[in-house]
Amino acid sequence: MSTPALTKFSIAERLERNFIAALLGLMTMITFANVVIRKLQEMDFWRSDWFAPWAEPLSTFGLQSLETTVFLFAWMGIIGTAYMVRIKAQLGVDVALNYMPPVWRKASALLAVSACLLYTLLLLKGSWDYWAPFANLPPTEGRIWPEGFKARYLSQGYYEVNDIVMPAWAQFLSDWFNEGEKYEKIPRFIPYFALPFGMALLLWRYLRVAVDVMQGKANMIIASHEAEDLVDQAAATADKD
Amino acid sequence: MEALYLFILVILLLLVGVPIAVSLGLSSILFLLVYSDSSLASVAQTLFSAFEGHYTLLAIPFFILASSFMSTGGVAKRIIRFSIACVGHFHGGLAIAGVFACMMFAALSGSSPATVVAIGSIVIAAMRKVGYSKDFAAGVICNAGTLGILIPPSIVMVVYAAATDVSVGRMFLAGVIPGLLAGTMLMVAIYFYARYKGMPKGEWAGWSEVLGAARGASWGLFLVVIILGGIYGGYFTPTEAAAVASVYAFIVSMYIYRDMGPLKGTLGGAPLSLAKHPQALFTAWFHKDTRQTLFDAGRLSVTLLFIIANALILKHVLTDEQIPQTIATAMLAAGLGPIMFLVMVNVVLLIGGQFMEPSGLIVIVAPLVFPIAIELGIDPIHLGIIMVVNMEIGMITPPVGLNLFVTSGVAGMSMMRVVKAATPWLGILFIFLILVTYIPALSTALPTYFMGPEVIIR
Repeated sequence: MSTPALTKFSIAERLERNFIAALLGLMTMITFANVVIRKLQEMDFWRSDWFAPWAEPLSTFGLQSLETTVFLFAWMGIIGTAYMVRIKAQLGVDVALNYMPPVWRKASALLAVSACLLYTLLLLKGSWDYWAPFANLPPTEGRIWPEGFKARYLSQGYYEVNDIVMPAWAQFLSDWFNEGEKYEKIPRFIPYFALPFGMALLLWRYLRVAVDVMQGKANMIIASHEAEDLVDQAAATADKD
Repeated sequence: MEALYLFILVILLLLVGVPIAVSLGLSSILFLLVYSDSSLASVAQTLFSAFEGHYTLLAIPFFILASSFMSTGGVAKRIIRFSIACVGHFHGGLAIAGVFACMMFAALSGSSPATVVAIGSIVIAAMRKVGYSKDFAAGVICNAGTLGILIPPSIVMVVYAAATDVSVGRMFLAGVIPGLLAGTMLMVAIYFYARYKGMPKGEWAGWSEVLGAARGASWGLFLVVIILGGIYGGYFTPTEAAAVASVYAFIVSMYIYRDMGPLKGTLGGAPLSLAKHPQALFTAWFHKDTRQTLFDAGRLSVTLLFIIANALILKHVLTDEQIPQTIATAMLAAGLGPIMFLVMVNVVLLIGGQFMEPSGLIVIVAPLVFPIAIELGIDPIHLGIIMVVNMEIGMITPPVGLNLFVTSGVAGMSMMRVVKAATPWLGILFIFLILVTYIPALSTALPTYFMGPEVIIR
């Protein structure tokens, strides 16, 4: 399940890999910790006096853990996808492609990458329109293509998430987005930022792929199954006959 | 009629090599823009809430992570040793042990190709050494490897559960009896074939070897106990079980097996002792093997989840347009009974399963088939198991199939040779599919016994 460990990665690539790894690690630890806390709460010492200074912060942590995990999950899934395009890990169906003559393959690849670009552009507009009001920014006019920004819209910078408490150091955001009124929970535009950001990254990635396809450097943008590099490794050690 | 365009578009996009996720998402978006007045913003919201609103899906990255820690060659070796100690002395012992090892490995991993790679790369070579033909070895492992998605935990089952809102716990329990049955059927068939062909048998190494090997393998296999015991004992939800399993798998692989991480011995040497290197308690968390495993698990999770999130947009479209209900009414009006319906589902999945990765296929087909099945009075859990078994067979049916590819790589054989080698054993899985389809109790007995009868909400 591993890419060769000795491969040198660029700084941007290391950042993306570590981002995915770190989010998954955090999600796992937070969920695990929440299970432990819940089990502890069922025990007697939880209510004893000597434990009181610990019980409260732990309970607060427990209350916020579910929502935190879910948002990290969304971030990993939405922002991480751009990197999957980069390493060609997106799954697809390659049966028809394998039987095509090279010219057709190139045409298919061009068609495929155009479809991906169209998808990303539409979702980028959708993501912006969805996210912008939460950050007091104007959504775009027009149903399919953006036709300028809306002059009148509902600012929703005051919308908060359900459980995650706003840390004191981040309260400067309330001056920027909430007319100085302190946020109790973190504002919604923070988790939802994954959408426009992720789609912008994805757009950039697909543009790079489109260039590669046009220059003839790539003729397929998908992997046919999840274990491709596992198989390559195994094949390297298998005895051929 | 409009629905037909939607599905034709999905298939066309897939065939020209558009990623599954984008095919599903783009078709749904275009459909919404043409036939409804939904805004793009609402599509983006659906995409985000696929993650935000489906706590069940969180189990997928955690299960993948747990099995990534357990998918090292060392764990596979321990399981194979145990399995040879148990059944190696029968006729065709090594082949039977291979199937048995696949069954156990399936209980650590939720993926079939991963099972074939882990077990196949060791067992096929070992079988050749004691005189089995390579074709026989590859055929057996190729088939047994499909058990990866039937024996719990199974990623495909989590996907089915999330796509149709049935309980993951029930699905896992439902997979136990069919999984054991399929494995046993394969092993019995191999035994009789081996008697008939006079295939080699191993030495009975005695109970001490069984116990010794069991001790080695038990740390890994205890993972299943945590997952299933934890869920059915009511200690935690399937998602939490998966997270606990990941942490457990991390500890076992870093500090007990020491196949990876800071305590791994250099170049095949003995692993280092924790007492002499106490700093490992801390460094293991950031060791490059840990980061690599996290990334590998994250990579697979992100790919699968992006597909699922887009499939949920498709599901949204289907539900809004009442498409499954329309098809169900038409089918009922045409006098189609549950049996014919299940045969049709089987055919569709067998064909689809050849070309597509199982989780992707499940998310496309399940939302469409599920409401119809409920109308026809088919148990949702039973339907889920039928779908999983179909996926298994799809993976080893020629001309293409994931496990065939993987086996061909692992064994260093041509695709055609693997197809020929796997086909005789395919018959057994077909008989098994018929059994599972027409005897619902095989799937539903265990979940009903432990969790009470299924409540179906229409």
